[in-house]
Amino acid sequence: MTSPSTPEAPWPVRTVARKVAEWIGRLGEVWVEGQIAQLSRRGAATVFLTLRDPAADLSVPVTCSRDVADRPGLELTEGARVIVRARPDYYIARGSFSLRATEIRAVGLGELLARIERIRRLLAAEGLFDAARKRPLPFAPAVVGVVTGRDSAAERDVLVTARRRWPAIRFAVHHSLVQGPSAAASVIEGLQRLDRDPEVEVIVVARGGGSVEDLLPFSDEGLVRAIAACRTPVVTAVGHETDTTLVDHAVDVRAATPTDAAHRVVPEIGEQRRLVDGLRARARHLVGTRLEQQERWLESVRSRPVLADPQRLLHGRADDVEQLRTRARRTLVHRLEGAERDLEHARARVAALSPAATLERGYAVVQRADGSLVRDPAEVADGELLRVRVAGGRLPVRVDRAADPAPPTQEDA
Amino acid sequence: MTESAEPTTTYEQAREELADVVRRLEAGGLTLEESLALWERGEELAKLCQHWLDRARERLAAAAPGDDAGRE
Repeated sequence: MTSPSTPEAPWPVRTVARKVAEWIGRLGEVWVEGQIAQLSRRGAATVFLTLRDPAADLSVPVTCSRDVADRPGLELTEGARVIVRARPDYYIARGSFSLRATEIRAVGLGELLARIERIRRLLAAEGLFDAARKRPLPFAPAVVGVVTGRDSAAERDVLVTARRRWPAIRFAVHHSLVQGPSAAASVIEGLQRLDRDPEVEVIVVARGGGSVEDLLPFSDEGLVRAIAACRTPVVTAVGHETDTTLVDHAVDVRAATPTDAAHRVVPEIGEQRRLVDGLRARARHLVGTRLEQQERWLESVRSRPVLADPQRLLHGRADDVEQLRTRARRTLVHRLEGAERDLEHARARVAALSPAATLERGYAVVQRADGSLVRDPAEVADGELLRVRVAGGRLPVRVDRAADPAPPTQEDA
Repeated sequence: MTESAEPTTTYEQAREELADVVRRLEAGGLTLEESLALWERGEELAKLCQHWLDRARERLAAAAPGDDAGRE
């Protein structure tokens, strides 16, 4: 209908676009198999995929509605292999080509990954992946169990790194198959053997990187359950950091690499030694300070006068005694002098009262023979013997009235 | 001090009693006999305290840092 285009009469863009769209639209529906290289859900209603040919370096864009991409039971992930029922489509507004998918089926690995995802959901629902199940790793295990491939880089990484951090570490290594149909059973066997060994305090399951298919045994349901059943804490280092297998969900610690696993399981001896040294120095300092404090206290108590100078106990006492003695002596002397004075007085009084003084003045005392004093001449008979006492002594006399002519007078009375 | 047997009195007990002895001596009001007996007890207690502190020093010195026995 349209005349052929010439440099003189070129077609407008819309004509070309419409013609291309018509031609492509006549191609009809096809079934195509490929690998999802990119997956984008940024559109509200449309999902964009990049479908890659695994065997050749080329790809085509695929679009589909969300209903098609989110069909129940279908797991679209990057790397998954899919079979797509699609119609080649030319988007006229942008001039872009895509396959418009009406049905997507998982295939091969995609199907396997979908199955793994179903197992993951099942085990998660059983609580096998719960954070509460995660056990802490022992601080410095004496024996580390290792399940790994024989002579693998993973084994070497774990052993070398762990020994460098803690030279005294011991290993119980179980070599197992790490890929292929028997790998899961082989790893389970090693795991259970090490778990039964009471010396093994932690088990490392290590395997280097590999393709998604290579790592499939580590998503085996039986292996995941065996790990969950272990009494010994388990650490995995399977594949690269970006690969996630189901065992990684069930273990107590997931390490990024075998080297990282060794770091997690074994403490660094130098660091521990510094820690211990630091604590030791602090303890010593504390005890030392305390001791010095007590020593100072004891020194201060010992230097107190009551303890340092026991002579003082006596000093005061001796003074007291001396003082009392002086007081006693003074009192006694005092008393003695008083007594002497008293005696003097008494003596003077005795002297004053004695008749001797009277006799001295010339008086005489006359006594009868019986000692009675003669106070009246009538008391004595003529011729009676009397005694006369004068100052000078005694004198016996005889009464002779006839010899005395003078009558008795009163002057003597 | 004889090393035959460790005293049964702990450092804290000895220290407390020593402080009490000094306090009583300083307070006075005792007979000579009493104060002498107290002083003798105080000397004994001070020696005991010294003994414990000396022992502690020795033990601290015995565990001197730098003894690298932990290396395996």
